[in-house]
Amino acid sequence: MQYLLQLLISGLAIGAIYGLIAMGFAVIYKSTGLVNFAQGEMTMITAYVAWTISTTVSGNVFVVAIGAILAAVVLGLVIERVVMRPMLGEPVFATVMVTIGLAVILRSAINFIWDAYPHGLDVGMGRGIAHLGGIGVRTGQIAVIVTLLLLLAAIWAFFRYSKIGVAMRAVAADDRTALLMGISAKKVHALAWAASSVISGIGGVFFALSYDLSPAMFQLGLKAFPATILGGLDAVLGSGLGGLLIGITENLAGGYIGSGTKEVAGFAMIIVVLMVRPFGIFGERDIERV
Amino acid sequence: MIRHPAFAALLLSTACLAACLAARPARAADPGITDTEILIGDVEPLTGPPALLGVAASIGHKIAIAEANAAGGINGRKIKYVLEDDGYVTARTIQGVKKVIDVDKVFAMLGISGSGQSIAVMPVLEKAGIPTVIDVAPVKFLWEPPRKNVFVIGQSYEEGIIHLVNYLADKNPGKKWGLITQDDDYGVTVRDGFDSVVKAKKLNVVYSGNYKKGQQDFSSDMLQLKESGAEVFLAGGIIAENIAMMKELEKLGVKPVTGIFWPGRIEPVLKLMGPAGDGIYAVDYVEPFAGAAGKAFLDKAKPLVSEAEFKGINRYTMTGYAAAKVLIAAIERCGKEPSWACTIAELEKTKDVATGVMAPISFGPGVRFSNQKLQIMQADTATLSFKPVN
Repeated sequence: MQYLLQLLISGLAIGAIYGLIAMGFAVIYKSTGLVNFAQGEMTMITAYVAWTISTTVSGNVFVVAIGAILAAVVLGLVIERVVMRPMLGEPVFATVMVTIGLAVILRSAINFIWDAYPHGLDVGMGRGIAHLGGIGVRTGQIAVIVTLLLLLAAIWAFFRYSKIGVAMRAVAADDRTALLMGISAKKVHALAWAASSVISGIGGVFFALSYDLSPAMFQLGLKAFPATILGGLDAVLGSGLGGLLIGITENLAGGYIGSGTKEVAGFAMIIVVLMVRPFGIFGERDIERV
Repeated sequence: MIRHPAFAALLLSTACLAACLAARPARAADPGITDTEILIGDVEPLTGPPALLGVAASIGHKIAIAEANAAGGINGRKIKYVLEDDGYVTARTIQGVKKVIDVDKVFAMLGISGSGQSIAVMPVLEKAGIPTVIDVAPVKFLWEPPRKNVFVIGQSYEEGIIHLVNYLADKNPGKKWGLITQDDDYGVTVRDGFDSVVKAKKLNVVYSGNYKKGQQDFSSDMLQLKESGAEVFLAGGIIAENIAMMKELEKLGVKPVTGIFWPGRIEPVLKLMGPAGDGIYAVDYVEPFAGAAGKAFLDKAKPLVSEAEFKGINRYTMTGYAAAKVLIAAIERCGKEPSWACTIAELEKTKDVATGVMAPISFGPGVRFSNQKLQIMQADTATLSFKPVN
């Protein structure tokens, strides 16, 4: 039983990180209809900025958190304004290719700005080990699960009750009608990019806290993308839950079937789910796939 | 008798030119060399995660070249280093090697990138016939069968693993073993070396895992290792993987005797592993930086490279330095007019060349592999260093 619980808790912890990044994918897709293939790289950049703040400005957790969030907002806004806005109205394929190009540039930027060595993010907490009924778990892993759950609730409330949230849903549903109703699609897109950058950046910072920081971190995007597909590309909350499902599935497969199955288990799961629900568990039926 | 002085002068100058050309066959035949310069080419991963080895190896080449240039160059010619980035992508390695040979027209090659990349460029190097010293990723295919112009400095991965497992087996008789390897050619080599000792020493292997390259979470793998009761563990990851495994074991409250392989034996790893990495064993053929030879190398390197480059020094810097020293020495022995043929012949004659960063290097007739002596080291978290144990 303890073996199963240990697998479940570890699966939830890594799944929460996938979930946060998957939510980043979904926020952009829901608001702009675009799949951002640079999501993993944006996550990595925010984590590196957090590490830079912790080593050069202050290792205080609040300073690092605020600095990283601000940096993620700026990153999202700059990408939207400089790279994505000029692509408005262009074919979806071209826009997706731009995000792929952006991913390569951001990935290379790590070596140009920082280095290829692995680094540890130290903010004075999150690395300690707590024992819950004999099950070892890092405090950072508990924190990321709690953060994901809080963010899921906050985002649900944001889309349900806030004016901006409703505007984002309106633009996603029909941007021309939304425009006629006085909603600026450009502002909504900018907000979506900033929000996506922050949400996935939080996942990146937690990953750096629990594991480490290295130029290979962008691969988290590849792991989180199936979570988005599983939860529903247009379902922000579903993507977060999809991350948890992928994390648990991976760990159970790795723990009970064999270590080699861990990396393919999540993908096997989405194949099965998509055969039954092609739009994802929580997605809407009319998704235009890229 | 020649009646016209102009005709006599023309005849004399033609004769002189012919004599000069006859005396300098290398200059006409082999590229990359002028009266003042010798070009040495290299292709390494300078971007992406493998930049950790590519950048470090190139710094080693630069240190040896800067050292030689500071001493007047190779018989008066300054060495110029031409470095290309392949991003650890094999197609780009081939493209890069072709570029430095055909466009930059270098005289000799150092490097080259990873094991798969070196294997892939072998036909290009053989066809070109350019003197080459490989130092980054020594794998058997590079020297078996021996290629006339390609020399490899280091030790085979398989031998390294055999040495490490033998050491740990002798030190921990009767213990239960665990192993995890990557699902690529590197992992296969590690597993082959491990299996040969398991067979010879009849080791009791209770856990054998295989992870997909790029995996970052090892929670279920290490939980399986713990459940298996393994007491000695060979962590077959490279860098980030080994860190993740050790931290996971720490979380699970187990600390088996652990061995890691040299691609992951870099000092920053110990800082990231923290207490979990204390006492882990490693095998390598280059000197640890904590030893006298390592410290002397760092002292030598400091004035020769930039501050940023100095921070990028790791074990691959030592392998790169040794390779460049051997190549430079061979070209130097060719005298004032070095050629490819002479350089290859002199490389073959390399005998006990001391570089200060590993055991003396030798090649021989038909021997293109330096077969470096291995040593076991142990991590000391307090000083964030590896120290020799035998």
